[in-house]
Amino acid sequence: MGRFLVKRTLTMAVTLLVIITITFIMMHAIPGGPFTREKQLPDAVLEALNKKYHLDDPLWKQYVDYVKGVLTFNLGPSFQRAGVTVNTLIEEGFPATLKIGLAAVLVVIFVGIPLGIISALKQNKWQDGLVMFIATLGVTIPSFVMATGIIYIFSAKLNVLPSNGLTSWKHMIGPVIALSGFSLSFVARLTRSSMLEVLQQDYIRTARAKGLSNNKVIYKHALKNALIPVVTYLGPMIASLLTGSFVIEKVFAIPGMGKHFVESVGNRDYTVLMGITIFYALFLVIMVLIVDILYSVIDPRIKMED
Amino acid sequence: MAEQTIKKELWEDIHKDNKDAEVISRPSMTYWQDAWRRLKKNKLSMLGLAFIFFMVLTAVVGPYIIEHDYSTQQLQLANIPPKIDIYKVDDENYFYMHAEYKLFAVTADGQLLDRIKETQNNLTDRNRVYTVGGKEVLLDYKYASMKPEENPDGIKYKIFIDGVEVKPSDKVSNKEFVFGTDALGRDMLARVIFGARISLLIALIATVVNFFIGVLYGGVSGYFGGQVDNIMMRIVDIINVIPLLLYVILLSVIIGSGLKSIIIALGSVYWVGMARIVRGQVLSLKEQEYVLAARTLGASSMRIMIRHLIPNAMGPIIVSMTMMIPSAIFTEAFLSFIGLGVNAPLASWGTLANDALGGLRSYPYQLFYPSLAISLTMLAFNFLGDGLRDALDPRLRK
Repeated sequence: MGRFLVKRTLTMAVTLLVIITITFIMMHAIPGGPFTREKQLPDAVLEALNKKYHLDDPLWKQYVDYVKGVLTFNLGPSFQRAGVTVNTLIEEGFPATLKIGLAAVLVVIFVGIPLGIISALKQNKWQDGLVMFIATLGVTIPSFVMATGIIYIFSAKLNVLPSNGLTSWKHMIGPVIALSGFSLSFVARLTRSSMLEVLQQDYIRTARAKGLSNNKVIYKHALKNALIPVVTYLGPMIASLLTGSFVIEKVFAIPGMGKHFVESVGNRDYTVLMGITIFYALFLVIMVLIVDILYSVIDPRIKMED
Repeated sequence: MAEQTIKKELWEDIHKDNKDAEVISRPSMTYWQDAWRRLKKNKLSMLGLAFIFFMVLTAVVGPYIIEHDYSTQQLQLANIPPKIDIYKVDDENYFYMHAEYKLFAVTADGQLLDRIKETQNNLTDRNRVYTVGGKEVLLDYKYASMKPEENPDGIKYKIFIDGVEVKPSDKVSNKEFVFGTDALGRDMLARVIFGARISLLIALIATVVNFFIGVLYGGVSGYFGGQVDNIMMRIVDIINVIPLLLYVILLSVIIGSGLKSIIIALGSVYWVGMARIVRGQVLSLKEQEYVLAARTLGASSMRIMIRHLIPNAMGPIIVSMTMMIPSAIFTEAFLSFIGLGVNAPLASWGTLANDALGGLRSYPYQLFYPSLAISLTMLAFNFLGDGLRDALDPRLRK
């Protein structure tokens, strides 16, 4: 276990360094400096700005400073908004993003998995058909279509849900449904197919043969094994929920990190783009590490030394 | 032990029927014939395939057939929905009132004729007067600005013909613009068809690019194995953890938005999954005897890879390509939706959906058609992909 942890943490560190490096290179590959405006700034101003933000340092020094900055969690200033740092943007945006993200994860786990189980246990009955129908719709309708559809039907026409902001639990319903739609459907499908496969296994027959109750067979023997592929999907799912929240936050006007990101795309605020990217990547890499550890705990077939 | 001699009469001619026992009665089928036969049995997959054919055909020839152009703007015809409420003046004259309080002369079956100019426009009283077929039509829209308590029913306007209040006489479909028009008066049908062209093109090119990079990378990694494989797969592991969509966004920001940059961005990052699949296949296939035979005959590594390994790994590769196309369409729509799409007047389904967002409450049909197109295409590719996975799986071969 110890060796496994050390190895995984080392890989994570390398991954993070690669991410920081790629992001840094990209930031400097952008044609024109961060202060290139339609109206040319006077040379003296430009020089002062470059000096202030250490852009006149040699590139390697800027790189080292940037890595140091990331390590001490200081992602630098925004170049488009005076006096605002990337850190403040993250601090004010992340709670909202995390709130709907977490809610979506919970919905996926506590709705998606049971739906998949029901569907597998009632294979080829109407419950199965219904769940699979919903799940197929879920993976084919893009999240922004779902989000705008929810706003149109429930906010504009029926007037039962608020359409923007994130101030009460009612505000959460729309964004969480739209955000979790794809992952929920995917998890339901995955749980169903893996459950069906597990139910065919010999050890299930053995368990039934020795007279265990149906519930015990399903929840103790089948489910545990059926959930292994689902746990593997949790890592990528967190990624898709995080990036998925960009459009959701845009459509529902939620003041989250995704909204800052999309805004920075619009006004080409490079440092904010880079900072948020690195923050997302960091968050994701740590999540994937946690999922990996969880995975090896759940599935003893995976050798920790590997 | 008694010795037995085989006498002549012990021999007899083999019966004719027994000869046939060894003949293979079923026609031998190649892998692909068998896969196609099984795919044909899957109704949903065939439906998906048919829809994809239809969509591709529409995208290729559609713009030449329909009468409107995707980029021609007719501002006076902006935001006309596909279903219009018409009012009857007399048997000859009908009109349609646009949501922006403009009147159009129409025929009874929904053919748009002309905009009707108002004869009086009373801005202070908030009403307009038109003359249609010799009768006076009064459009009174002062209700829209009333407070809720004065206007409990939420009426926005009333229409009077010669002083008598009238309601819409009929709801007909718009014959001129079947899908309606957008905010700049462009035909939505033409734009959705043109959007199909752009979206499918991006998806196709991105998938082909991913195919080549993935097959090359995975093939080399799997074929050479050992340390090469180890290093190449560590790189893939690292890339796999990086949230790729963020880098697609960064790439588009750096290269600038547009068709080319979307293709480059999509093509350069999504090959990782393909590389993994190809590697896995090549790893197991390279131990097969036919590879040994080819090597013994002196075939080069390149030849073994291209002629022997890749064709045999084609099944899983095709399945993964079918699944990659919808995710490319999805990603393109996603990028367009956050403002990194193709530049106007070009349109993809994603940009169309994004453009419609502003007027969602008044003109929901502008979002409906592109969204429907995306969803149906995704559904078709998903059905086809599921069917292909079953059909191309050699374990399920009968």
